[in-house]
Amino acid sequence: MFIHYIDLAWRSLKRTPIVSLLMLLAIAIGIGITMTSLSVYHMMSVNPMQHKDEQIFAVQLRTMDQDASWWTVDNLPHQLTYQDAMNLRQSPVPFRQTAMLKTGFGVKPDNANIAPFMEVARAADSDFFAMFEVPFAHGGPWDKRIDLQGETVAVIGAEMNRKLFGGGNNVGKDIVLDSVAYRVVGILADWKLEPQIYDLNNGAWGNNEQLFIPFSLLPIEELKSWGNNNGWKYEEQKTYQDKLNSEVVWLQYRVELTDKQMQQDYRDYLAGYIKQQQQLGRFNRDDAQGDIKYISQWLDYREVVSDDNKVLVGLSFMFLAVCLANILSLLLAKFLKRAPEIGVRRALGASKTQVFMQHLVEVGMLGLAGGVLGLAIAQLGLHLLRSGFSRYEQVAQMDLTMWLAAPTISILACLLAGCYPAWKVCRTTPALYLKTQ
Amino acid sequence: MLNMTNISKVYRSEMVQTHALRDFNLQVNEGEFIAVTGPSGSGKTTFLNIAGMLETYTGGTYELDGINVGKLTDNGRAELRNQKIGFIFQGFNLIPDLNLYENVEVPLRYRGIKTAERKRRIERCLEQVGLGARAKHVPAQLSGGQQQRVAIARALAGEPRFLLADEPTGNLDSLMARQVMELLESINKDGATIIMVTHDPELARRAQRNIQVVDGQICDFKLYQGGAEQQRATAGA
Repeated sequence: MFIHYIDLAWRSLKRTPIVSLLMLLAIAIGIGITMTSLSVYHMMSVNPMQHKDEQIFAVQLRTMDQDASWWTVDNLPHQLTYQDAMNLRQSPVPFRQTAMLKTGFGVKPDNANIAPFMEVARAADSDFFAMFEVPFAHGGPWDKRIDLQGETVAVIGAEMNRKLFGGGNNVGKDIVLDSVAYRVVGILADWKLEPQIYDLNNGAWGNNEQLFIPFSLLPIEELKSWGNNNGWKYEEQKTYQDKLNSEVVWLQYRVELTDKQMQQDYRDYLAGYIKQQQQLGRFNRDDAQGDIKYISQWLDYREVVSDDNKVLVGLSFMFLAVCLANILSLLLAKFLKRAPEIGVRRALGASKTQVFMQHLVEVGMLGLAGGVLGLAIAQLGLHLLRSGFSRYEQVAQMDLTMWLAAPTISILACLLAGCYPAWKVCRTTPALYLKTQ
Repeated sequence: MLNMTNISKVYRSEMVQTHALRDFNLQVNEGEFIAVTGPSGSGKTTFLNIAGMLETYTGGTYELDGINVGKLTDNGRAELRNQKIGFIFQGFNLIPDLNLYENVEVPLRYRGIKTAERKRRIERCLEQVGLGARAKHVPAQLSGGQQQRVAIARALAGEPRFLLADEPTGNLDSLMARQVMELLESINKDGATIIMVTHDPELARRAQRNIQVVDGQICDFKLYQGGAEQQRATAGA
């Protein structure tokens, strides 16, 4: 019967081509605009490590003196000072932990045909790779020993491996970064972690590094920060050591706490650490505290999805509702015009349910067609966003969920709009039309 | 087979109540051919619609094949209508987008009959009304008489025990009307019970029983001994 309904729906749509086209365009434009904004919202709000959402935490410390405040909603800096990062690294509580710095180098390839280039790098502890499940194609992370002593080793991404060596296993080879040779210990497989949950300071997308070096090299190589540096008081910094000793926050810190007990232990540890530092003359404020935020909290806290995006999604759904209202009125007029035929069908044995279903299948087909056309319009919209605004390059995309969501939303929206007209026509009294048709 | 007891039908509007049927009593036996006559607005079509469960009634009891129609849900009435009743309308009421084959197929689909069986029945019924060769034509390509024959084929395809005809020859010329009437008589001879509303006294006389409806009530009925066949014989003489 369902196939028969599809056949009837197709005939019905063909019978009134102008009205069908108008309805198709209405739903397609509505879906196109909705899916454009929804896709951007979806890509922005995706949690790339949902399975470890409440295990990986960003660490924050309210380090400022009593009279200083931070611009964040909870008065907590996003990053840590070097001295705090180094102290926290001593904690035995976390299952894994890493301090991080966004830095960069001039890379001088061995191959004379490749010009030297600047490359963003990430200084991190070896736990970084396991914590964020970074896949290796060859080799692996550096030893834990290097996290303590510092050694010029590097892990490079697949893209950089291809760029420098043309691909393959190049573990053991050297690369020259700012005139210093680094031995490659690991080569990553193709990898993407977006939004870049380990460092959202300079944009959440398109920033996954191709070069990783031990955090322990920071004081040895005097690694420069290519990210954000914020302070709450004036401090003269004449030497690199001055910066290391300063209250400038410039390092990201993440811990992996696998269960509730470990999380509570770490909170207790932070509280104890603050008290200890207060005794040493730091954290001079009554409400000095530490905090940890898990991934989705962090994404929300850092407003990866801005309020503008949320408003845009709301507006686009309102536009879709207007489209649906138009479709509803067109469907109502179309279906009621067909009441005499429905009267005949009812006389020949069609139940109200069957008539209702017949019409719902028709609006469902309209929804499916509108969804497909809407997808094309959404692709155009996303393309325009990508080409017009560079910050949308990574997020103006559609993943499989959105590809499937478009026709689903379209069909459901059409069914919603079609329910009333279908209900209305199935309730017509057949006898009313049989004599007059 | 069909038993109506004190059936009443009242149409209500804000200002007036109209009694289309009142204390309407009728018993129809299996295999009968009944003609219902009466002036316009007397309630003939209302009776036919209630008999066909296309309308509900206000009071009384209606039993069809021992089933109390008043207790059925809308879907139950649709199912009963589909299984036991065939309709023939004055205006044919064919679906213009569907060809003859598909028009005849409509009630069979709602009954859930399998494709092969549907095909067999449709071809048989179209042959029976003499339109087997035109199955792929659409109604607009046929004359009025041919369209009415398609409507009869559609009514027959469900192999109904009841055939309800509302002025089936009203839109036809006399030659076509005679052909359609002969077809109905043949169908009745094959065992179907027929109730036919008509304005034509000549056609009414060809039925076995003639019921006259006035002001929503049966005011008279005549039983023609020998039924339609005798009427044809008389007409032929």
